Parts: sequence; C-alpha cells; structure tokens
Amino acid sequence: MKNKELNFEINILPILDILSVLICFLLLTAVWIQVGTLDTMQAIGDNSTEGAKNPPSLWVTVEANGDVQLSLRDLPKSQVSGDEVIKSSRGVNWAALEKKLTSLRVQFPELKTSVVRPGAKTAYGDVIRVMDKLKQSEFEGVGLSPLG
Amino acid sequence: MKTSFVQTLQRRSPLKDTQNLSGGSKKKSLFSRDLAMALPLTSLIDAFSIIVIYLLVGTQSGGMETQIPNKMNLPLADHSIGIIEETPILKIEKGVYYLDDKIVRKNELSEKLSELKKSSVQKTAALMIQADQEMNYEELDPLLRASSEAGIEKMKFAVVPTK
Repeated sequence: MKNKELNFEINILPILDILSVLICFLLLTAVWIQVGTLDTMQAIGDNSTEGAKNPPSLWVTVEANGDVQLSLRDLPKSQVSGDEVIKSSRGVNWAALEKKLTSLRVQFPELKTSVVRPGAKTAYGDVIRVMDKLKQSEFEGVGLSPLG
Repeated sequence: MKTSFVQTLQRRSPLKDTQNLSGGSKKKSLFSRDLAMALPLTSLIDAFSIIVIYLLVGTQSGGMETQIPNKMNLPLADHSIGIIEETPILKIEKGVYYLDDKIVRKNELSEKLSELKKSSVQKTAALMIQADQEMNYEELDPLLRASSEAGIEKMKFAVVPTK
C-alpha cells in the first residue's frame, strides 16, 4: 500500500487575516501629530549691564481677561507712547492685535525685540499665540518675562 | 504532446494551490483546475508589504519622537519650526513637573536643570516645554526662573503647527 502524498500546502489565509486585523488596529488606534516648536532665547542669570544702551523693544502685557497693553521702550523718538488692544467677547482680539503690531513695525522699522509679560492667570495658550503673532510680524527676538 | 517546461513546473509547484482560494474540501473535482476562481494572494501579500513599509518609513521620518499625554492639548502656532535635534523635555501636567518623564519637585528644578546644562554637549543648552494650552502662566513661571538660574537660555515651546 502506498503512503499518502505529503501535504506541502501552507495555509496562509489565517496569517493574512491576523495581519489585516493588526494593521487595521494599528491604523485606528495610533494618532500621529506633527509637533513643532516656538523658540525663544531667554535672559540668563543677571544679564543687566549698568549704563549699557538697550535696543528698542516692545513690551506686550497680556491680562487673563484678554486685554493686551503694548508699550514701547528705548526708542530714540521722544513721542513714543503705549497702546492697548481691548479684549473681544472670546478673549484676546487677535485681529486687532495683529493690525497694531503690523502698524508698529511699519512705523518703527528698528523695532525688532519684544518681551511678553503675561499675568499670573493668563492662559499659556494665549501667551504662545501672542508670541506667534510677534514672530509673524517679524520680531526677531521674542522673550518671555517672569512674573513680578 | 506536452513540451513546454513551464507547464511541467506549474504542475509540480507546491505553492500553486496556496495561491488560490479554495473551498476547503480536500476532494477536488475533475474540473478544479479550470475553475481558478481565485483571488490571487500574492498580490494581497504585496499590498500588505507595501502598507507595512509605508508605515515603518512614515513613523521614522527623522527628527524626534515624543509621547504626548492624551489629555494634553498643545497650543497652536503658525510660525513654528520642526524638531531637528534631540532636546530634553520638560512636561507640566497639573502643576507637576516631569523632566524626561521623571517627576521633579518645584524646589529642585534649578538644581536638575543645572545638572542638565553641565551634561549638555552643545554650547547653548535647550529645553523643550510641553504644557496644556489651558494652563495658567503662574505654573510656567518657576520653570522660567529655574532655567534662568541654571543658564539654559534656549526654550522651545512645543506647539501643534497650523500651517
């Protein structure tokens, strides 16, 4: 009597089933978010040099309720004063702020440094967005001031 | 008369049957060879391989890989830059500071950041900050002071690019 022929067949259908389920599971569960960074250079230690001439700068104070005050410092022109962006119903009035920053850059081309001064209860998201708007208005050095 | 060697090889190939879907019955009719109602599995395997390679390449596209907690919503920004180099990450979650996933107490921040600065190879040490957009600024303030004391001047705020 002859032996039965050896069965060489590899059943790859279940393997394919598992693979397809795994791929679907991975695709559905994984969330890929591209993260970027907004870079700032902070002052370190005691960088104050007595008598040294500071570059012209724009100080942006962001209150928790959305009000934004802009004040110009160390500009050669004496007629320099501050400005204010009143909050909108949804917090900071971003369109008005953008407009003010653009007009300031046009008015004072030498103005390239800016410092953001948030209040203690100001949302971190608003602080970052103000810094983003400053970068958009081509401020080269954007810093963040500690409280106090 | 069968002279083609291709036909001979086809008949001998053990993979021939596995390339076609069959009914599961061991018995084959006389016409089974002609039926060939088959989904070609080799093309399916090709497709799977392409998907796997695509996923592998897509997830390792250089830069830095980081894990963000589910409940953390990073702020949005238009003018962000991509992450090119490995940077130590300082995460702030509900007032708790994590330096590279290790909890750091508020009063130890300056000390830990000084150690980080000393161990840094680069001239200007950098720190990436991950925090929720709803967080109050007063929670970030101790970190700014500590990094200033430690001599870390480059702060990278993690954001989700909108453009």
